[in-house]
Amino acid sequence: MICRMTEIVNPSGLHGRPAAQLVEAAKRYQSKLTIRNVTEHGEPVNAKSIVRILGLSASKGKTVELCAHGEDEIQAIEDLITLIDSGFGEI
Amino acid sequence: MRNNNNHKEMLILQGEGVSDGVVFGNAFVYRAEQYVVKEEYFEPGHEDAFVQEWEDARQTAQVELDKVFSVLDNVSGEGRAILDVHKSILFDEEIEEMVETTIREDKVMPASAVSKVFDIFISIVGESSDPLIAERAADLRDVRDRLLRIMRGESSSVLSHLPENTILVADDLLPSDAAMLEKGKVAAVVNEVGSATAHLAILARGYRIPTVLSVPKATVLINNGENLIVDGHDGIVVVNPDEATGRAYGDKKRHFDKKTALENEYQDRKGLLRDGTTVRIGINIGDDREDPGYSSCDFVGLFRTEFLYMDSQQLPTEQQQFEVYRRVLELAGDKPVTLRTLDIGGDKQLPYMSLPEEMNPFLGKRALRLCFEEMDMFKTQLRAALRASVFGKLKIMFPMVASIDDVRHAKSVLKAVKKDLDDEGCPYDPLVPIGIMIEVPSIAFIADLVVTEVDFASIGTNDLCQYLCATDRDNAEIREYYQSFSPAMFRTLHSIVTAFNAAGKEISICGEMAADPLATKVLVGLGLRNLSMNSASTAKVKMELARFTLEEAEDVAGAIMSLKTQKDIIEYLKSL
Repeated sequence: MICRMTEIVNPSGLHGRPAAQLVEAAKRYQSKLTIRNVTEHGEPVNAKSIVRILGLSASKGKTVELCAHGEDEIQAIEDLITLIDSGFGEI
Repeated sequence: MRNNNNHKEMLILQGEGVSDGVVFGNAFVYRAEQYVVKEEYFEPGHEDAFVQEWEDARQTAQVELDKVFSVLDNVSGEGRAILDVHKSILFDEEIEEMVETTIREDKVMPASAVSKVFDIFISIVGESSDPLIAERAADLRDVRDRLLRIMRGESSSVLSHLPENTILVADDLLPSDAAMLEKGKVAAVVNEVGSATAHLAILARGYRIPTVLSVPKATVLINNGENLIVDGHDGIVVVNPDEATGRAYGDKKRHFDKKTALENEYQDRKGLLRDGTTVRIGINIGDDREDPGYSSCDFVGLFRTEFLYMDSQQLPTEQQQFEVYRRVLELAGDKPVTLRTLDIGGDKQLPYMSLPEEMNPFLGKRALRLCFEEMDMFKTQLRAALRASVFGKLKIMFPMVASIDDVRHAKSVLKAVKKDLDDEGCPYDPLVPIGIMIEVPSIAFIADLVVTEVDFASIGTNDLCQYLCATDRDNAEIREYYQSFSPAMFRTLHSIVTAFNAAGKEISICGEMAADPLATKVLVGLGLRNLSMNSASTAKVKMELARFTLEEAEDVAGAIMSLKTQKDIIEYLKSL
């Protein structure tokens, strides 16, 4: 299993559209993927579930931690972190 | 619900005007019903059936959402982003697992299971510290209510049976409700929530229904049947207007209507330039309704057949398709109808057909490519179309053609289908013209070669632009890169039109550009004489055609060719 942290940079945070984009991206990988809101000491939740991601309250400036476990874990983490860091096209 | 006061006070409410126009009418107050789902249990042994019921409801919900997608096709990408979120919620794996567990383990009836599980997430999301995220609870409620309604077996909404001149006053209209508006009698919409970017606003503009959103407590302050004036431009709703206010808005309405009427004067005219040159005006249709505007057009330039596949739970049979195609051909009478074969795949999915998930759906197994794979489905459609051909003037057009191999492959399938029909002694018109959509650059650039292989072609400017500019047209974030007025677009159009005109083969355009009066002069100047568009746009395009001569159009098209950027081109066209 590998984990990485990053900061949410897009202005609107992980709300509807970015959350849907993240789920869509996460579903491309076999690995089990979780995400947690580090700033608010949240529990890790399934990163392939939009309702879980919305429940994170991961707004701009919050730090999140992504963990992946599975065959394609390296690629998965790499891509999802890149997506979050890209600001989902909002910036 | 009627107000018993004899003296009704005038009340002015301010909201956000999101779709233009002034309307006088009577209120119909509509509250999204709060269904209380009782907690119900079942006897063990029926688990599979009830899980299936939940699966089926999700499939139906997806079909409904896709229908809204197809309605939005010509509108904008913003509404689709919201619907993407709804789809993501609908197929959320956590919800799926929890609902299934609740049914199987706790023996809870599917509707109560859905209600229970969604409510958990609605309260989690609704309590988010971030207001933007908390707002998304509304999307969860929307999906929940859709599922519950489907499970109750209700598909049609009260909204499709309203009297004429109704002003719909709602607390929170669902997208599925909004999608019903076009077919109903709604003259205007007032909604308690929403803003200019809401899916509701986008649909309202598409349907040209004056609309004011974000009017708090509208359903409480307005009673059924009350007189209303809705000003969709300034976002004003007047309840029980007094005489002076009525007069003032009467003037405003006349002003707005005059502008529309001026356009409408051209509705039933032919498309003619000032010097009398004829330009044939076509319409694009996407269903078999009785009058999509046949009387005000010369041909149907695009008959989209996707609705047949998206409105049902399984592949439409040959007979079902045949009846729909026959009906359209008979309704169109002596006007040619260009049937486009199925354009599915990419982002449009069919719930009953599993397609592989692709990284780049628009560059993937879409339209003709999918049809080649699903040969039975393709042949069934071609059989139905050919059988219907004896009832009118049918033309068949293949979408997403990228090479001459594609054209030959499609034609060989058609030939095989014809042979089958011959063997069965089934009548069809052997001279049905066969054409292609030109929307992929690799075929656009060899227009002079492909012209010898087809009877006609139609340019799909939306996809052509998206492929030419490498820009997803539904992604609002990169809208500036989607340049349909770029020099590259006009040069591409020029070479296609020149090749087809030189060969004496029919060339038309059926993308959004055909509906944009700013482009009309250039298109005609480039040599196009067949413009096909949504029927709401025919009047304004005809009005634009009457303003110029062929010589002027050719000069403008010539001048465009030396301009270097889209900005230069648009500025030049606006200065004319």
